[in-house]
Amino acid sequence: MQSIRTALWTVLAVSFLAGACKNDEQNVAPTDDNEALTTAILSLTNTANAQDVVTATIENLNTTADFTKATLNLKANATYSGAVQLYDKTQTPTLDATTEIREKANEHLFVYTPSAANLLTVTITDKDSNPTPGPYPIGLAFTLKAGVAAMGKLKVQLRHQPNAKNGTSAPGSDDLNVDFPVTII
Amino acid sequence: MQSGPFTQRTYRKLTSHCICLWLVLCITRFGWGQNSTVCTDSLTGQIQGQDTRQRSEKLALVGATVYVREVGKGAVADSNGYFRLTGLCPGTYTLDYQFIGYKKQTRSIRLPLADPTSSSVTLLSENVTLNEVTVTEHRSEAQQLLQTQVSLSGAALDQTRGQSLGESLKSLAGLYSIQTGPSISKPVIHGLYSNRIIILNNGIRQEDQQWGTEHAPQVDQFLASRLTVIKGAASIRYGSDAIGGVILVEPKAMPTQPGIGGEVNVVGATNGGMGVASGMLEGAFSRTRPGKKLTGLSWRLQGTIKRSGYVRTPYYFLENTSYHENNFSGDIHYDHKNWGAEVFYSQFDTKIGLFTGAQVGSLADLYAAISRPEPLAQPGFSYALNRPYQDVQHDLLKIRTYWRFKNESTLTATFARQKNTRREYDFISFSGALNPELYLRLITHTTDLIWEHRDIKTTNSGQWSGSVGFNGITQGNVRQYLFLIPNFRNYGAGLFGIERYAVGRWTLEAGLRYDYRWLRAYFLNEATTQTYFTTHNWQNANGSLGAAYQLRPDLTLTANVSTAWRAPNVADLYSNGLHQSAVAYERGNPNLQPEQAYNGNLVLAYTGHRLSGEVGIYNNLIHNYIYLKPDSVPVIRQRGAFPSYSYAQVQARFRGIDATLTYKLTSQLTLTTKNSLLFAYNQTDRDYLVFIPPNRSDNSLRYDWARLGRLSNLYVSVSGLYVARQNRAPAVTSRQENGDVIFTGDFAPPPPAYFLLGAELGFAAKVGRQSMSVILTGSNLANVDYRDYLNRFRYFADEPGRNISLKVRVPF
Repeated sequence: MQSIRTALWTVLAVSFLAGACKNDEQNVAPTDDNEALTTAILSLTNTANAQDVVTATIENLNTTADFTKATLNLKANATYSGAVQLYDKTQTPTLDATTEIREKANEHLFVYTPSAANLLTVTITDKDSNPTPGPYPIGLAFTLKAGVAAMGKLKVQLRHQPNAKNGTSAPGSDDLNVDFPVTII
Repeated sequence: MQSGPFTQRTYRKLTSHCICLWLVLCITRFGWGQNSTVCTDSLTGQIQGQDTRQRSEKLALVGATVYVREVGKGAVADSNGYFRLTGLCPGTYTLDYQFIGYKKQTRSIRLPLADPTSSSVTLLSENVTLNEVTVTEHRSEAQQLLQTQVSLSGAALDQTRGQSLGESLKSLAGLYSIQTGPSISKPVIHGLYSNRIIILNNGIRQEDQQWGTEHAPQVDQFLASRLTVIKGAASIRYGSDAIGGVILVEPKAMPTQPGIGGEVNVVGATNGGMGVASGMLEGAFSRTRPGKKLTGLSWRLQGTIKRSGYVRTPYYFLENTSYHENNFSGDIHYDHKNWGAEVFYSQFDTKIGLFTGAQVGSLADLYAAISRPEPLAQPGFSYALNRPYQDVQHDLLKIRTYWRFKNESTLTATFARQKNTRREYDFISFSGALNPELYLRLITHTTDLIWEHRDIKTTNSGQWSGSVGFNGITQGNVRQYLFLIPNFRNYGAGLFGIERYAVGRWTLEAGLRYDYRWLRAYFLNEATTQTYFTTHNWQNANGSLGAAYQLRPDLTLTANVSTAWRAPNVADLYSNGLHQSAVAYERGNPNLQPEQAYNGNLVLAYTGHRLSGEVGIYNNLIHNYIYLKPDSVPVIRQRGAFPSYSYAQVQARFRGIDATLTYKLTSQLTLTTKNSLLFAYNQTDRDYLVFIPPNRSDNSLRYDWARLGRLSNLYVSVSGLYVARQNRAPAVTSRQENGDVIFTGDFAPPPPAYFLLGAELGFAAKVGRQSMSVILTGSNLANVDYRDYLNRFRYFADEPGRNISLKVRVPF
């Protein structure tokens, strides 16, 4: 009987010792995304007039996207030189993802697709350093030629194409896939 | 799965306790028994049967068993009634001879035998009604339950070595698996999975974030000597949540003979270049010489290492489908006269590569991938394992003690601590981050107290047996990085009682259970950095009734009705985020009510000389069945528009038929058919449910040789598995939403039916004095390209192609 009691107390003691809760769950860690993109900015400069700069910004891409400043207001038949910027504002200080993408340009491609072919045309002007049959376009810099007065959308995709970049959009997956409203007057 | 005459039948717990004993013995027969390094005496004999009324002809009793009480091992008689037991020490032994329909005989012998025939017996037939429903110590507690159950052990389990738990169980009727690519497989019982089934790993309720469809159970299959599946609501004994069933991973009994033994398992497979090595070493200290120190102490050490590279479909490799697993466990038992204790520790460590071709950033990527007949990236073979991958560790510490009181009742107390650490690494694009995207650490403490009262005999030769018990659980979960489920603390307590009454041809069982659950989830208000929490509690009482009736000595009918419940888990209530691998935004619903299941089943089991098998039908009605319902408005994030889903509740019905039949065409040629039919329906919305296993028929033909040249237990088998197309799936509908096409119901219709050809060759051989068993298995031999409805990566790529695997087991 003595042995039974000893064993019982041993089990109970170990149970309580091991079961002592540290309540770690009451310290809640903030949500942290390694690759959140909160902000996408398109900056267009009219090649005929350097003072004519059009900027369209989409904020809060990682939660409830804010499109209030997202519209590209373009002049009919004008040609713009463009740049895209991506930021992660969840980080402190704000992280400039554009720089990181430029460093890994050999596996990234921006794809610009207007909602209608005659709305506007985008030509990518920068090149990566992929070996032959490269180099391939990157898309951080481009020229945009607006069509006649119309309304539509410009889809901006950032394709991540590790070991697969071939100049087309097909390989890889989307890191960014957003539509900027376009108004041409 | 092709199985032999000794294991292919599914065993009704009720038919006879000797059948259960038989299973235990099979394990030993195929070499699982603990062999002493010193003793080499063997015992052979013949078991024959005689009809008591005719007193004429003696028949060899194929499959009769002999059991040596002192060493806890036994053997099964072969087709001529002969048995052979090896590795015995000289001494006096008590032998139990048994066969269904015959009176048990017990005989005492002395080794070495003076008279070689003294170990042979003739059993006399029982012409009276069988009163077989008595509890013996050879039956585990689960096997005593009247609930429908199937199991995998001995040679049948050996055939699945090297596979994951989910894959192994697929060979049983009524079991399926839900997959995420070739490396993640979760068991499905009668259409229910994840939190609706409980896995008991070595007696402990496995808690490893099992709510996730892509979270495979962290169980080392080599730890088990037997996998038992209770099909249908089994909440009463094993706790709430078990609406679908319970899977018991049962290790083999600890050694009792002094000395050291063990075994080595090696598995190699062509597809994926898989290699598995598992070793086990065990020993016991002398019991026979009292007074000697450490009497009653036994121990076991076990470890498994597994590596696999890219899996190949018939036409291409699946990039990054590599798999790593490292496990070890240690077990110490101490058994004294009337009490004993056990300490068990195991660690499971796995790193699972996810198929890169299934990693889609956006819905547009998903649609592009679905429309492609083959993945774009088709690299060559590699063992590389990069992002995306899962890295999971599971630690288990178990302490168990029992006391057998003078009145023969038994009290068992078990305490366990589990720590599950899960890190999920997604594909990263530009940040070069080293952190995972998801980190979850779940610590679970469980306590169980079970009291089994002594068997009470009644005046009409009936017998009462039963148990009462308490289960307690508390869990704490901590998350980091992305939000998928919140931090939480929960407490649960359950009280149950089960009574069983066996009299004549009847066995009756009734159970009652009460559960209380408490859950508090912690959140962070990111604006104010203040932590806040919400609290839920639920309670519920459930019951079960079962009856088994022996229509004839070889025919048993079992019926069960039971209720079960499942409180919503933290993922159902609070998940809120983009489920990247499912390309869906999932929203929890804090107002969910517990699920309540009403489960009925009926099983007819037959054990004839040529034909044996069982046919079962079931109906599981679930009120407040929780599922992901598509929302009408998609969610827009940086990677575009995603279909959004919210947890909702409906009344669902799962009904089906499981049929396993074995027919001996000749004494050596056996035909086995296993069929699983399932019909599930969402009664509230009058629609089908998504991800319900399609109907399936698995047929095999097997030829056995008891001995051929230097080989024994030689067999060859061919098998054909037919899986039908799931025609009962929600219609795939699409609509335009701001220029994006949004699908509901599913992303693509169910894939077509498929047929797979398999073959197997197995034997035991002696190399020098060393015995070993070898199994050579070929699966998908026709190298058919097919896709499976239950694979979540079926949108992206085919299932694995031809695979040849070699399994070698060397006991020592």
